[in-house]
Amino acid sequence: MKMQYFIQGGDFSAGGRASTEVKSIIKQFNISPDKIRRIAIALYEAEMNVVAHAFKGKMDVDLRPEYIRVVFLDEGPGIEDIDKAMEEGFSTASDEVRQMGFGAGMGLPNIKKNCDEMLLSSIPGKGTRLEIKVIF
Amino acid sequence: MKDRNYTHSIQIDLNKCIGCSHCMRVCSTQAIRIVEGHALIQPERCIDCGECYRVCPQRAIYARDDGLKSVEKSGSRIALVPSVFIGQFSSEYSATQVLNAVKQLGFDEVFEVEHAVDFIKEVYKTLAVEDLPRPLISSYCPAVVRLIQVKYPSLTHNIVRLKAPHDIAAIYLRKSKKRESTQNSNIYIYYITPCAAKIVAALSPVGEDKSAIDGTINMTEVFNRTSAILIGEKNPGMHKTIANMSPDSVNWSLSGTEKKYFSGRSLAIDGIENVIQFLEKLESGHIKDIDFLEMRACDQGCAGGILCPGNRFLTVERLEQRQKRLEKLKSQNGGEVVNPLMDFSEVLLSYSGVDPVYPRDGLLLDDDIEKALIKLQRINRLQSYLPGFDCGACGAPGCRNLAEDIVKGKATISHCVFVQRIMEKNYKLSPDQAFIVIEKIWGKGRLNKL
Repeated sequence: MKMQYFIQGGDFSAGGRASTEVKSIIKQFNISPDKIRRIAIALYEAEMNVVAHAFKGKMDVDLRPEYIRVVFLDEGPGIEDIDKAMEEGFSTASDEVRQMGFGAGMGLPNIKKNCDEMLLSSIPGKGTRLEIKVIF
Repeated sequence: MKDRNYTHSIQIDLNKCIGCSHCMRVCSTQAIRIVEGHALIQPERCIDCGECYRVCPQRAIYARDDGLKSVEKSGSRIALVPSVFIGQFSSEYSATQVLNAVKQLGFDEVFEVEHAVDFIKEVYKTLAVEDLPRPLISSYCPAVVRLIQVKYPSLTHNIVRLKAPHDIAAIYLRKSKKRESTQNSNIYIYYITPCAAKIVAALSPVGEDKSAIDGTINMTEVFNRTSAILIGEKNPGMHKTIANMSPDSVNWSLSGTEKKYFSGRSLAIDGIENVIQFLEKLESGHIKDIDFLEMRACDQGCAGGILCPGNRFLTVERLEQRQKRLEKLKSQNGGEVVNPLMDFSEVLLSYSGVDPVYPRDGLLLDDDIEKALIKLQRINRLQSYLPGFDCGACGAPGCRNLAEDIVKGKATISHCVFVQRIMEKNYKLSPDQAFIVIEKIWGKGRLNKL
């Protein structure tokens, strides 16, 4: 089953809505509670990355009996150095974003920790594509 | 692993229920449907929070307990009384007097549950330094524990694996009686309960094989009988001379005391809607770095319990006064508290734990993921035909719930009154057929008002 959600950059108050909705859906499946939690955390972190850094983006969910695959595609500044972005504690978030409690540089490492496969690609100045897969 | 034990206290008296659907609309787990003119509770979803009990205009919903009639005629009978019970009475009656009046209802001894809180405070000190999932969620409120089992399966392992005070108090009573008595007289322990969830907790505890409690008695019943005794009482003025528990333990069941005993960042949340909102955010990963959550399903904690006859705010105020009196007694005794239960703390420690709490499958569409996925697609398709008003005329609390019920084979799309109109317009359904559908939900003859 496929679902699509729109994510508005900068809308921190609404941030997390799309990932919460997906979490509510997968809770109806016979998936181990631990996996549900991992998926919820990975999707939330990814959604907040779009909110915090990009102008706008979308989240495409592909739900299969064996796995869930989610692709985040955003229009934004992109990531200059992906290896560096994956380091714990590294962040390019503005002071404004940090004041809101985001941008601690734990987002991407946290996503990686909570999913089975992660693909990250970016064109600086254009946008970022993040693919997350969790096998049930 | 799943918990499939669905014992409940909340029941509907079908002779009184008129299927008015007030209960269906407030149910926080969407467990209620209207079928053939009566409310029907789905056992796998009900958490015994009692929100339905509060709103029922017909008084058709009740909490099934064992009652005073169940109290044994012989043996050693002990009443376990929570502090909120004492808070139901005006301050002209002392706690000692109230407890003494309860004893006259047919008990050999009365013991205040909150003695066990002193023990729990000690356990919390060790929990705080253990490597456990964070935030730890208090196991105190059984409605919250069941809410997590039903709605937040991924948070079940955050629940503190510790028995509730009434259980620990009951175990203490059994151990201490065993130690002091030579003859083997039977001990029967009855818990005076402020809510339905605690009845279920005593009947079929989560994470335990058997509870140490023999029976539960509705607090309202005991309140009425105790009030009659107190009014006729000639001899007021019985007071304690020593503090028998640490003063703020009497407020443990309310909101805000328990959290103080957990170091780090801890929050106190009361009211089922507030609890749900917070757990939703927590489960979604929005909230981090919290160490402890004290949660009470009722506003003002147990003072707001559905079986508490008094006003919850007055109860809170009286318990605060009681804390002050205990503080005075404590300082008169050189700051010492004489709690008999604490002499058994080492013994109790080995009995106070519970097994891990497992989720329930109240939300599951199907055990098989592939089938569940097909059902989910059907639900989404059905939802596009439903109006999204959540009017409840179909006998389900919302359009989404109706769609789920249809997929589960428990309802049909013609249950929706809006879809009915379309079907009639397209000659898919006759007015007579539509009438039959409505009567199946709301009861035969329900529409015959003239």
